Amino acid sequence: MKRLQSTISLSLALGMILLGMAACAKKTVQSGGETQSSQSGAAKGSSDSAVIAESSQNYPDTALSGRDASGGLRGLDKNPAEERVGGNSNPLLAKVDPGSTGRQLEEIRAEQSASAAAGLRDVFFAYDSFLISDEGRQALSRDAEWMKANPAALLKVEGHCDERGTSAYNLVLGEKRAKAVRNYLVELGVAANRLAVVSYGKERPFCKDHAESCYAQNRRGHVVVRAGK
Amino acid sequence: MLTFRTIMIGTFCLSLALAWIIESGAADVFLEATRPDFQKIPLGVAGIQNFGGAESLEAQVRLGSRIEEVLKADVRRSLVFSLVDLPSVGIKVSHLGTGPDPSFKQAAEHGVAVIVWGKAGMKNGGKDADVTMDGYVYDAGSDEVVGGKRYVGSPSVVRLMAHRFADELVFRYTGEPGIARTKIAYVSEVGSARELFVMDYDGYEPRQLTADGFLNLMPRWSPDRRFLVFTAYRNRNTQDIDMIELATGKRWTLVSLGGLNITPALSPDGNFLAFASSHEGNSELYRLDTRTKALQRLTVNASGDLSPSWSPSGRELAFASDRSGGPQVFLMSADGSNIRRLTFEDDYNAAPAWSPRGNWIAYVCRTPKKEYKLCLITPDGQKRVQLTAGPGVDDSPSWSPDGRHIVFSSTAEGKSQIYMINADGKDLERITFTGTHNSAPAWSPAS
Repeated sequence: MKRLQSTISLSLALGMILLGMAACAKKTVQSGGETQSSQSGAAKGSSDSAVIAESSQNYPDTALSGRDASGGLRGLDKNPAEERVGGNSNPLLAKVDPGSTGRQLEEIRAEQSASAAAGLRDVFFAYDSFLISDEGRQALSRDAEWMKANPAALLKVEGHCDERGTSAYNLVLGEKRAKAVRNYLVELGVAANRLAVVSYGKERPFCKDHAESCYAQNRRGHVVVRAGK
Repeated sequence: MLTFRTIMIGTFCLSLALAWIIESGAADVFLEATRPDFQKIPLGVAGIQNFGGAESLEAQVRLGSRIEEVLKADVRRSLVFSLVDLPSVGIKVSHLGTGPDPSFKQAAEHGVAVIVWGKAGMKNGGKDADVTMDGYVYDAGSDEVVGGKRYVGSPSVVRLMAHRFADELVFRYTGEPGIARTKIAYVSEVGSARELFVMDYDGYEPRQLTADGFLNLMPRWSPDRRFLVFTAYRNRNTQDIDMIELATGKRWTLVSLGGLNITPALSPDGNFLAFASSHEGNSELYRLDTRTKALQRLTVNASGDLSPSWSPSGRELAFASDRSGGPQVFLMSADGSNIRRLTFEDDYNAAPAWSPRGNWIAYVCRTPKKEYKLCLITPDGQKRVQLTAGPGVDDSPSWSPDGRHIVFSSTAEGKSQIYMINADGKDLERITFTGTHNSAPAWSPAS
């Protein structure tokens, strides 16, 4: 009971603070602010609202136009009429176009072989952390040297996480890791517009066992040479 | 196969249930808080007989027993009825016709309120013949057959006939449409890619919706069940929020801002899309008006905000934020005002899902033993219970439209698979059995 009371008072106090913060949270987004992957800066010259409008002009209305409370059911009947089930319009039949699978695989292979040839090093992180260790700094020094020797090259930093925690929060954590790597490479003198970041969270693990040896492999900032778009 | 499945479920349920009871000690609070305000209605299934027409005797037997099996499972999962084994209460059915069997008269004195039965067969014989299924409902209170249904369709929709009949039973006795015809959208591994799939609520009839060859994540339904919104990686380097039409496979990009664009959720009226985006630096929550295309930022702070979940009224959002250290569940009004923290136990609480009845928020809680399990909390923070226990990472809770079940993913048995559990912690059931990875389930609205 005591714990409950302290929880309530704590939540009240926090609520007051947050209420204050929320007052400035109502601004509508007009333009892009900080661009996350600076390599795409040129393409993002237009404002974000323009991007939204452009890509979304034609999508169908998602509004709920009213729901039949019976959910399409007709009720029991003492003299039931024949009711066709399924019919000719199968409601969940989608076309699957496997065309892009092959292209993706080819591009991933190209990225992998280019990165292996360049001898790029990855950065490994502690559980729940996005701090770069001394070992990570050494790896990134090598990567930065390679970037200086190859002035035309573009890199992508992928943020990865182990399987513990939620899928969604690991995407956020993966982005923090990728950005930490990018920021350190920028500190070492690599131009920010040559570095893209993307988070894969726990969705593309390097290793699939449920063991720390495997988790350690998956908590990583994976540095690859960008190929294709 | 089915026996194996049943044993698997049984063993798993038992061990988890025991673990939960031993560990949580929260059973009293919990049962009191979730006990339904109605008594379950005792219902017996007398059988689905075959009237012939199928090519072989074996096919006939399978048809009837298949429908009966699906119907019984639906009745059990409805939680509106309790399934009675008729022979065990002394009701011995001698013959199933269109009228009630003489033995039904004893139903009321044995506490059975409803008896259903039926017959099924191929209409004209032959390979492409339609299946016909008749279902009858006997009410012990009035001692009469109160009505029935007659379904016709191709042999591929036999399960759907049973589901429809089960939903008619729920509708008859509660006025609710039932959940037997609902669907679950989810993510499944195909090669090294993760693609969107949809299956029936009981795990059958899976269908692949995307084949991009990379990552498609976190599907959520439109309130009219026509669309899914989800995170799509275009060219592996950028994340957009896309929408797919289930009937056609047609796709649109709703949000393409750069950065992380995750956890989309359409409001209950379908007019707003809430999502998390890092295009302005760190992950913040936004709200897109799907009619005017106006974008409103809802959160402003240096930490990660994500996973918005709408209250059933559409007036509030639950979400996860790491503004106070580890992620915690917060609530706010749908315009971003009135933010307050909801969870305080332990240092990791995320992936909130507001129940369709509004009275609970399910979420992933990290226990003191550092296990990721499901918890429930009331929106006023007064009651909190741990719903699952044991090994493995539980993730992505999503409510059934009747608010009686939660579907989620878990690595409890190794690979990530999809499970459902009652909101009172009972009847844990695994519903995916194939593939190397199934995750991010999203339960559809009722049809």
